[in-house]
Amino acid sequence: MTTTTSRPLVLPGDPISPDLIPSSSSKPLRLGPGLRHVPPSDIVPVVAGQLITNHQKNSMWVEYNNNRYLPTPGDLIIAQILRSGPDLYYTLLSPHTPPATLPHLSFESATKKTRPQLAPGALVYARVVLANKHMDPEIECVSQSTGKSDGLGELKGGMVFEVSLQFARRLLMAKSREEGKVEVLELLGGEGLAFEIAVGRNGRVWVGGEDVRVVVAVGRALRETDEGGLGVEGQRRLVRGLVRGLK
Amino acid sequence: MTVTTAPEAALGVLPRADGSAKYSHAGYTVTASVNGPIEAQRRDEHPYEAHVDVIVRPAAGVGGTRERHLESILQSSLTQIILVKNFPRSLIQIVLQVEDTPENDYVNTKLVQASLSFAIMPALFQTAVLALLSAGVPMRATATATAVAIVPQDGTKKSVVDPSPRDVEIAQSVHVLAFTSHDELLLAESEGDFTVKEWDDVYETAKDVCCRPVPTKEGMEMVLDDEHTNGPDLRHFLRSTMENKVASDLHWK
Repeated sequence: MTTTTSRPLVLPGDPISPDLIPSSSSKPLRLGPGLRHVPPSDIVPVVAGQLITNHQKNSMWVEYNNNRYLPTPGDLIIAQILRSGPDLYYTLLSPHTPPATLPHLSFESATKKTRPQLAPGALVYARVVLANKHMDPEIECVSQSTGKSDGLGELKGGMVFEVSLQFARRLLMAKSREEGKVEVLELLGGEGLAFEIAVGRNGRVWVGGEDVRVVVAVGRALRETDEGGLGVEGQRRLVRGLVRGLK
Repeated sequence: MTVTTAPEAALGVLPRADGSAKYSHAGYTVTASVNGPIEAQRRDEHPYEAHVDVIVRPAAGVGGTRERHLESILQSSLTQIILVKNFPRSLIQIVLQVEDTPENDYVNTKLVQASLSFAIMPALFQTAVLALLSAGVPMRATATATAVAIVPQDGTKKSVVDPSPRDVEIAQSVHVLAFTSHDELLLAESEGDFTVKEWDDVYETAKDVCCRPVPTKEGMEMVLDDEHTNGPDLRHFLRSTMENKVASDLHWK
């Protein structure tokens, strides 16, 4: 739960002193994003960011922010349908990248006759199944093992807003209020606005709701918190201003 | 003689690009944007590596052979520090826009056709590295670059770091060298007449400028050390620029 106190800045190629690397006799060391293992025993950062180590889980990674999403299996993302092929949909996760494939039958209780028909431009909340550097990514809207969708599937109506990847990760944290310091959504809900949210790790947030002004206000709140780097106080002020404008 | 000022950099100046940087030093100002890894054209696809595409645009005009030459040099050196094997069949696109070049007080620039001088290469290289760091493109190491000119002065030859346009004009030879953060020589390009001994001296001078060790906590000796006044401390500048960027990104932690 708690991480180490020293969080040094690392640049690509910097040597990491061995006392920063967590060691445990039972669990293997897990390397997260931003680090690579150079055999036999070197761990080298590949991006500029803050080196974070978690001694409890015996893992380490580099915390950094950027805007270009690289698919990894298990990520929940918001994809847009480009076109339909014979057995799959071709979807776009981020601009200027190869399309990700989504099988027609990869939805909850879908058969050839009763599958959802998605038009180009439609949005889906999906999970990345396959992503490696040699192949185009594949996504699914149903869990393979249970056959249930768990909230995945088409996102009808609403609007999509782009945020930085780090902000999307903060929104997806289990304790986004305490650890991610993102309060805007709770504050807006507390003011009585009715909306629903889907956060994709590829830097997209879908906001749905009946009132268009509410959807736009929520989107603006997210955008300004992300771009302005607002802290908790700034977020409260922002929400107050937006709600005043709505009334 | 123009006064060389300390280098300045700003990251994330272009919000629509994956990464961007604006760097100015010794009169040269360059803005760079990095996009990638994105889908490459069929003809540029490499089955096991990413293709690094560098585009240099001069301050005025479209750019000709001189700019293509600079592009090919930058491409070969940047490909060595970017981890291209992680992104097969992809493209990493780097666009460098020259905004300002120092004026040569001795020449009427309205008569002379504008074409990029060799001495702009370190600024182009440094801006590209900063933009790559801003975009979060995985790299093997960071790098710093500098230009050294051998100028005849009072009968002897003197090596000048960050030469002004006048220095470049009267110089016997101009050299551009880049070193990675592991103190390895990454780029060595030279123009003019020089001996091997002169190149060795240039190498030592450039290594001193580019590979100065980052000052430790007891930094007082570094500040008072007069031997290291050849040029700005580029590695320290790179590190402090990135520290500011990371601190502002992670302000919420």
